[in-house]
Amino acid sequence: MFDKFRDWERNRHQYAMDWQARTGGKVLGYFCTYVPEEILYAAGVLPVRILGSHEPQDVTEPHIFGMFCPFCRDCLAQGLKGRYDYLNGIMIAQSCLHIRQAYTSWSKHMPREFNYYMPHPQRVQSPHALPYLTEEIRIFKKAVEDWTGVTITDEKLQKAIDVYNENRRLMRQVYDLRKAENPPLSGEEAMEMVIASQMTDKAEHNGELKKVLTQLPSRKMGRKTCKRLMILGSEDDDIAFIHMVELCNATFVTDDHCTGTRYFWNTVEPSGDLMKALAQRYIDRPRCPSKDWEERTRVEHILKMAKDWNVEGAIVIQQKFCDPHELDIPAIRKALNGIGVKNLFLEFDVTVPIGQFKIRVEAFLEMIGDEDLFD
Amino acid sequence: MAEYWRWKEYNWHDENKDWRSGQLITAGVDVGSVSSQAVVMVDGELYSFSNMRTGSSSPESANAAMSWALENTGMTLDNIGFVIGTGYGRVNVPFSHKAITEIACHARGANFMYGPTVRTVLDMGGQDCKVIRCDDRGKVTAFAMNDKCAAGTGRGMEVFADLLAVPIEDVGALSLDVEVEPPPVSSTCVVFAKSEATGLLREGWPKSKVLAAYCSAMAHRIVTLLVQVGIEKDFAITGGIAKNIGVVKRLCNEIGIESLKTDYDTQIAGALGAALFGQNLLKKKLTQAEV
Repeated sequence: MFDKFRDWERNRHQYAMDWQARTGGKVLGYFCTYVPEEILYAAGVLPVRILGSHEPQDVTEPHIFGMFCPFCRDCLAQGLKGRYDYLNGIMIAQSCLHIRQAYTSWSKHMPREFNYYMPHPQRVQSPHALPYLTEEIRIFKKAVEDWTGVTITDEKLQKAIDVYNENRRLMRQVYDLRKAENPPLSGEEAMEMVIASQMTDKAEHNGELKKVLTQLPSRKMGRKTCKRLMILGSEDDDIAFIHMVELCNATFVTDDHCTGTRYFWNTVEPSGDLMKALAQRYIDRPRCPSKDWEERTRVEHILKMAKDWNVEGAIVIQQKFCDPHELDIPAIRKALNGIGVKNLFLEFDVTVPIGQFKIRVEAFLEMIGDEDLFD
Repeated sequence: MAEYWRWKEYNWHDENKDWRSGQLITAGVDVGSVSSQAVVMVDGELYSFSNMRTGSSSPESANAAMSWALENTGMTLDNIGFVIGTGYGRVNVPFSHKAITEIACHARGANFMYGPTVRTVLDMGGQDCKVIRCDDRGKVTAFAMNDKCAAGTGRGMEVFADLLAVPIEDVGALSLDVEVEPPPVSSTCVVFAKSEATGLLREGWPKSKVLAAYCSAMAHRIVTLLVQVGIEKDFAITGGIAKNIGVVKRLCNEIGIESLKTDYDTQIAGALGAALFGQNLLKKKLTQAEV
């Protein structure tokens, strides 16, 4: 049922190149998930998220410090190896310094037609964040118009917003079905679905989601749900890890990842000024820790999710050297423990040692269950 | 050439016990990265065990350890009601009924060996090191493992025994034979630590001082893992390094807590815990069969 998403996720480059050939349109690669994609989509551009490939590599050493996170190096490696040569443009909206270095190196050594660094408020809790971001989006819109020659009318933009909002609502519907005692999809399938949405034309992705949603509520998995887990933390598209855990008597039922709920959680709310409406959406979205201060609003959000999805345990991951998440994790783990959700912390790299992680995961699952081993 | 790293392999069984009158006979097989143990329990008491090096094949090591534990007992695999595999080769124990992680097994084993007051177990194994917190039943409540480096482990100690030509059993005591404690070796990598030690020997350091520097480095590294999880008394150590007084003493000094003593071989804790879990599962199986 989720084959199409898997196919898109696995053959992301082929999809984008086919789209380019078919439509004659421009493809833009973006880093992180703060880019207001709606602007690009309204101009007929296909935005695709740049992710790594989880292979050991030796090409980024001259560009990025070894003490920067493995994810940003893995992303840059894709560019240096020529896997994204088809991109017409690249951009980032400011999130953290590590991934910005990947963008900077990329735009310097492999510049495209359109290379755009978009400032994005770091302290989104400030009352000044909204006017700041509204104006930045306005400037960005102008830059996209100059690049593509397309005038982005309110009508076009509203249409793009509608497509994106529909995508967000549909994915939330899928996630809501995971609240069931026996969720009709695995965590692996959910992750593939969200990652696929970051790499495909949202209208096409919506079509597939609607098809899936007609059958999903009555789908029988043919596997036991066992322990209900949540996964949260840094960027995570490590499908092999999710797969391994779900072979160990557990099912992921939700997440707080930018390859998951953080990406699609909230919609753009109607407003007279579309620029402002977009800015509000990207300010209100579930944040990653580089933007979530001084209040840690993430903690309440994560706890609520853990309760709503009836989570029995959580796996908290961090990309090695990811400072923002490193700072948040102790508070999050403490809060999870406070509501009785035991959690396992793991540090991710480009590739993870499956054997060493498996024993930790199995021991964790034994810890939160397996009462029959005792008197 | 003498192989100083070689620790003693042996087997044992309780000659005063007649297993044939036993009701619940279970076994635990711990195929670790360096050593393998098989433990047989009869009605809640330790009956026999073996402790040997792991070979290149996990199933063969499991078979060898099991046969050796049964040597001269008259018992065969058919007499054993439940077998549990543990250790990194836990899924490769051909005759096991279930696999359980060595983290759970060491906590359970320590609970048996040291008593139910144990709350923190430090398992210092061949290639990794685990800190395990547990309750009074020996059930894990939290744990941490060393991540990327095997320097704080048995394999590292074997390398040093060989380098200094000191039998592995004597390393700990000799390392305490220093008047002033030297600074610990700084390298966290076994291979680099070995180069560092070679340099120290060239400078004229006696073997005892070099070993002191290494044991102290190992103790420090383990303390950083211990504080991650937090240490609650009582504190017990399992695994091969528990036999190294040079590491244990320095470690306990640093944390200011004494570790419990035991007459059991600390290397069998994992297999022992596995056999104990087997006992519970066998009991449940038999009750279900009656119903």
